[in-house]
Amino acid sequence: MKRASTNTAPLSSADRRFYAALAVLGGSYGVMVAALLLADLAYTTPGHLWTSLQSSEIRYAIRLSLLSCTLTTLMSLWVAIPLGYLLARRRFPGSVLVDLLVDIPMVLPPLVIGLSLLILFQTAPGRMIERVLPVTYAVPGVILAQFMVSCAFAVRTMRTTFEQMNPRAEQVALTLGCGRAEAFWRVALPAAKRGVLAAATLAWARSLGEFGPILVFAGATRFKTEVLSTTVFLELSVGNLEAAIAVSLLMVMAAVIALLLLRRWGGEPNLGQAGPA
Amino acid sequence: MNLARLVTLGSLGLAALLIFLLAWKPAPATGKRHSSTPLPSLLVYCAAALKPAVEKAAHEFEAETGRRVQIQFGGSGTLLSNLRIAKQGDLFIAADDFYLQAARSNQLVAETIPLARMSPVLAVAKGNPKQIRNLEDLERGDVRLALPNPETAAIGRLARERLMAQGRWQSLSSRAVALKPTVNDLANDLKLGSADAAIVWDATVRQYPELEAVPGEFLGSVESEISASVLAFSLQPAEALQLARFLGSPQRGVPHFERFGFRGVEGDAWAVRPEIVVYSGGVNRLAIEETLRRFEQREGVSISRVYNGCGLLTAQIRAGQKPDAYVACDVSFLQPVAGQFHAGLELAETRMVIAVKPGNPMGLKTLSDLARPGLKLGLAHEEQSALGALSLRVLREQHLADAVASNVVVRTPTADLLINQLRAGALDAALVYEANAKPAAAHMDFFVVDWPSAFAIQPVAVGRHTAYPRLMARLVQALASPESQDRFVAQGFKWRRTPKP
Repeated sequence: MKRASTNTAPLSSADRRFYAALAVLGGSYGVMVAALLLADLAYTTPGHLWTSLQSSEIRYAIRLSLLSCTLTTLMSLWVAIPLGYLLARRRFPGSVLVDLLVDIPMVLPPLVIGLSLLILFQTAPGRMIERVLPVTYAVPGVILAQFMVSCAFAVRTMRTTFEQMNPRAEQVALTLGCGRAEAFWRVALPAAKRGVLAAATLAWARSLGEFGPILVFAGATRFKTEVLSTTVFLELSVGNLEAAIAVSLLMVMAAVIALLLLRRWGGEPNLGQAGPA
Repeated sequence: MNLARLVTLGSLGLAALLIFLLAWKPAPATGKRHSSTPLPSLLVYCAAALKPAVEKAAHEFEAETGRRVQIQFGGSGTLLSNLRIAKQGDLFIAADDFYLQAARSNQLVAETIPLARMSPVLAVAKGNPKQIRNLEDLERGDVRLALPNPETAAIGRLARERLMAQGRWQSLSSRAVALKPTVNDLANDLKLGSADAAIVWDATVRQYPELEAVPGEFLGSVESEISASVLAFSLQPAEALQLARFLGSPQRGVPHFERFGFRGVEGDAWAVRPEIVVYSGGVNRLAIEETLRRFEQREGVSISRVYNGCGLLTAQIRAGQKPDAYVACDVSFLQPVAGQFHAGLELAETRMVIAVKPGNPMGLKTLSDLARPGLKLGLAHEEQSALGALSLRVLREQHLADAVASNVVVRTPTADLLINQLRAGALDAALVYEANAKPAAAHMDFFVVDWPSAFAIQPVAVGRHTAYPRLMARLVQALASPESQDRFVAQGFKWRRTPKP
């Protein structure tokens, strides 16, 4: 995390070999990802991308994807910051259980999360909620399905963030007359900014790619609950590989732009410089 | 207020904005503007592989009927699990029979209307680069074969069954590079070149310009059917059936399926509200009326009923009338017009009875009592009604026809008229069916004629000329249902149909 990595001083030959080994080992993954994208690009044409963008169905899916992912991210942060802080700073009765519970959405197969949501909303309390606000096969269902998964990742990130922060700064604030709450607002939260951004990034990206639970719980109804990931599935299932790839590339582009914006807004100059701006 | 608080409050505002944007509906992109009063929409679960055809057809349906159709696409299996739990929705369109059977065994579906057909073929990439000509070639070392999974796809089960019969399944399935869950996964493999040959539907090959089928029927001539089934829990079955009829009609939905590579079915003609004509012998009226009424309501159709003596009805049919169905008073009245109908289904039978005034003041119990001098007897007309012909035959068999003849004061086309005249006091006795007498039992007494041939069988038959053969098949099914049986029995009929259809 230190900026020392940008050190450009002349290297000894041993160091050079060390860096070369790192580059080969780590770089192979980067090369693989780039190769995947290149293969996709080779399979599509600007024409396909343009056709996809012109389809009103896909434009709706883009809009719904962007809005629902952003809302899901916010909701995840609202839950993850307090819960992560609580789990990192305090042992309380049942904290082990809570810790375990929030991890479950990460290990459950996504389809099962969708199925479980579907079952939940067929119970008596679920039906009562449905009567006021239709969730199953509706837009709130999309958001709920995304939230169930991405929130788990956000909580995990926030917990690690707060755990790695030295509590001394907060303790100093307490000795200077701050209450617990004030210490959180004035010291812990501002210091956790990068963690918050990481959690937001993770939650947003997870939501964008989320597919299984949405298909099961919210369906893939055009102009209603179709998001980009379900569009890809639908196009694949009718053999329209070109459109599926084109939509996937649109998702990659949307993600890249959103993540760059998030990092720039988060004030990380080293990453911001990597952007096209 | 510090920055952290500001950002937190700001995020609340942002959330509100996002919710507003989600709820905000910009001008409909579909270009539809004629929304007067929004009708409740239909929820359809549709196999993703059928998306292109169903979407186009549903769009036309919306334009024609003004009713919105929401289509939930997904793998047939996923959809099946969904609707089992969600228990909402109106129509289920599965990719093949396999899932329909599963839905049936879970009692999730009611009526089923076929939409299209397809057969399995051996498919390869266009130009057949590996020169695959038959099943033997699939065993070659350089051929990568992909097979459909028998557990998840109807075509997989079919392929396994057929290849097993030829003794090839073991070797081919162990040689296959992959068992894929859906037929589209296989087609995508061929398209991408990750497999050289696969067993898919002929319709799949027609949908993929990059593929071709190896000529020849390697798996025998078998077919799978795509159909639309009304969900058992649909709250708007008439509308769901209307959409299913639309999809399965040669004038509307079927051409869309044909355009996307499926073989069409010979379905019912399309009508927003089909009008059908049912001829029925008067004796059956009370037993079938409720069934017809419910059928009209559930199916969203109009039934014109013509109740009359069967002799008159048969004469009308011979004169050129073409009812969509005929519920005859007796099989003998179906025979003269059998050429115009498909084979009849015997529903019920009813015995002949002697109906008399309440308390039976004249002590009439057998047919020979009817020959007493001065008795006023009513008979059904022997040419106009089945009952009349039957009465005459039984009287002749007992050598009473001449003795009774002088007492006959009236011959009517239907038994209802005889009952009315008996109740009015104009007759002392009448020969009617038990099914006529039982509903009027409060106003008269009746005695069963104890004679082997003194009963009639009521069949139902569908006209060969009907424009709605599938609809009529469902009507016959309704008439043969246990509910219909209860209605027949309550009216004094004996149920005749064996449980097997």
